[in-house]
Amino acid sequence: MKGGGLRLYALIYLLFLYAPIILLPLFAFNSSSIIAFPLQGFTTEWFAELTGVEALHGALKNSLFVAVITAVFSTCLGMFAARAGVMHQFPGKGPIMGLIMLPLVLPEVIVAVSLLVVAINVLGIGLSLWTIIAAHTLICMPFSIAILNSAFQNLDASLEEAAVDLGESRWSSFRLVTLPLVMPGIIASTLIAFTISLDEFIIAFFLTGGEPTLPVYIWSLLRFPQRVPVVMALGTLLVAVSILLLTIAEFYRRRGVRRSGQQDHGGFL
Amino acid sequence: MSGPIISLTGVTKHYGSFQALQPTDLDIQSGEFFSLLGPSGCGKTTLLRTIAGFETPSGGVVRIDGADMAGVPPNRRPTNLVFQSYAIFPHLSVAENVGFGLRRSTQSKAEKAAAVEEALGMVGLEGYGPRPTHAMSGGQRQRVALARALILKPKVLLLDEPLSALDKKLREQMQGELRRLQRQVGITFILVTHDQEEALIMSDRIAVMFEGQIAQLATPEALYRQPDTRQVADFIGVMNFLPAQFVDGSAEIAGLGRVDLPDNEDGSGVVGLRPETLQVLYDGADAPARIAEGDVVEVTYYGDMTYYDVRFDGADKPVTISMKNLAGRAVLERGARARVGWDPRALVVFRD
Ligand SMILES: Nc1ncnc2c1ncn2[C@@H]1O[C@H](COP(=O)(O)OP(=O)(O)OP(=O)(O)O)[C@@H](O)[C@H]1O
Ligand SMILES: [Mg+2]
Repeated sequence: MKGGGLRLYALIYLLFLYAPIILLPLFAFNSSSIIAFPLQGFTTEWFAELTGVEALHGALKNSLFVAVITAVFSTCLGMFAARAGVMHQFPGKGPIMGLIMLPLVLPEVIVAVSLLVVAINVLGIGLSLWTIIAAHTLICMPFSIAILNSAFQNLDASLEEAAVDLGESRWSSFRLVTLPLVMPGIIASTLIAFTISLDEFIIAFFLTGGEPTLPVYIWSLLRFPQRVPVVMALGTLLVAVSILLLTIAEFYRRRGVRRSGQQDHGGFL
Repeated sequence: MSGPIISLTGVTKHYGSFQALQPTDLDIQSGEFFSLLGPSGCGKTTLLRTIAGFETPSGGVVRIDGADMAGVPPNRRPTNLVFQSYAIFPHLSVAENVGFGLRRSTQSKAEKAAAVEEALGMVGLEGYGPRPTHAMSGGQRQRVALARALILKPKVLLLDEPLSALDKKLREQMQGELRRLQRQVGITFILVTHDQEEALIMSDRIAVMFEGQIAQLATPEALYRQPDTRQVADFIGVMNFLPAQFVDGSAEIAGLGRVDLPDNEDGSGVVGLRPETLQVLYDGADAPARIAEGDVVEVTYYGDMTYYDVRFDGADKPVTISMKNLAGRAVLERGARARVGWDPRALVVFRD
């Protein structure tokens, strides 16, 4: 078979990359409280235990709050940036767009530390869920822009002009024509920003005040060996939710591309 | 008679340091089929969009039906634009697209539906209303775009290269239909095109543009017969150019000899001859006004026509001659000698 060697390489590569994730559900359903092979027996005890932990519910609520608001902020700001970037020419456009996309390559730990310094020493506002939201919006925005960019690029710029020509105002043209056509991109961007924020640990760890997010809470659990299977169960759920959300996001992105009758230029999945 | 429906006075447009429109004066009469013709990048679209209100002129005044349009946005101008890409809203059905402009009107639902059906009928798309637009062919999308613009009964319909995306057959069919539609609705049409044949076929008057400037404004016939400049002559149809010396009221034309051309000052220049004003003479043909001889250097056979490139004795470059292929008339071979008849009245003079 042609490319057999490469195929094998790719297979092994993927195995090493994702095997640890496969271990999560394996031990989540294992009846022994010690994380080691051989597996003992099947149980859903760890999942049942999850429902009874008060602190976990608090962390989950915090995480959802942060993720939802981050997703909305990041998508709104991303939409402004993507529309400006695709449909308009203005001085300094290149550098400005570059700057907005920078958090994509900035190490999170640097973002976290600098925001910590800014929040406490410069602004003196102290830490809260809102500082995490600010930081998460910063790192999610490049993803939102990337998705919305492709949504706006697939859009014929004369569509909005045609609506204006037919008597609508600028704003109603945007609402009646552009918005429905980029809606799949908006949904995809919201879901991806939500997922990124939900899973993010480093920034949340640095910027969390008295209210930990879910990943921070999980990390704190790891110090107690007998709680590790519970963490595995929780991790399994998180992975499942993330995969589900990303799949839905990709579904909407593809539908958007199809709807505007364009070629697909690749996506996230 | 009432004034022009569109009147531009000294309209200019700059993009940064680039001047897309030189100062332009233009009057277009009500009910006219008017074309803006020119090569790519000459500023046709810019001029059209300035009339529509999508571009603000850097200087000058645009009047529509006597009213100054300064500061009037596109949605409040009595014009509608058919975009080059058609700009059909992909998420709406055919009927929703066509009825889009009626959203703000106070008509009842039934009246609007009737107006949509009437507009669809005008472009030959009766019954297509409920269909989605993405499944439609290029020609059908074109018709939807037309119906959508016409439903608002604008005073002026602006069309930006509406036929350039269609294949040849369909384009020729649509040219006829557009012409018929314009006569039927009586609206002023302003058509942008880079296709000189299309402009000649369809227009009452044509403005030929080069580099942001109107080079000549005339009827198709005047434009073809009496082009003002070599550039215009070259752009419209085929024109043979022959160097000429003007002396004492006559011209010495390379390959054709001397002809009387009174009222011409002495000097040099070129004369132009259209291919159909020259004719290859067969034995027994009537002797025309003037005869020149030369070698056939190229023969291009089109079925109904044959184009000969003939180099006259004493000329550097060959001229192109078009001949109808009549029954019983042989097609000359390359390399043959040709006697060519021509008429001094067909000469167009371009002075240096
Ligand atoms: N927004 C703009 N910014 C800068 N230059 C522009 C802009 N729009 C048009 N131009 C320039 O102005 C000139 C005229 O453009 P225009 O679109 O009017 O040409 P056109 O005659 O319609 O050509 P085509 O047949 O290619 O459509 C071109 O050189 C173009 O590059
Ligand atoms: Mg153009």
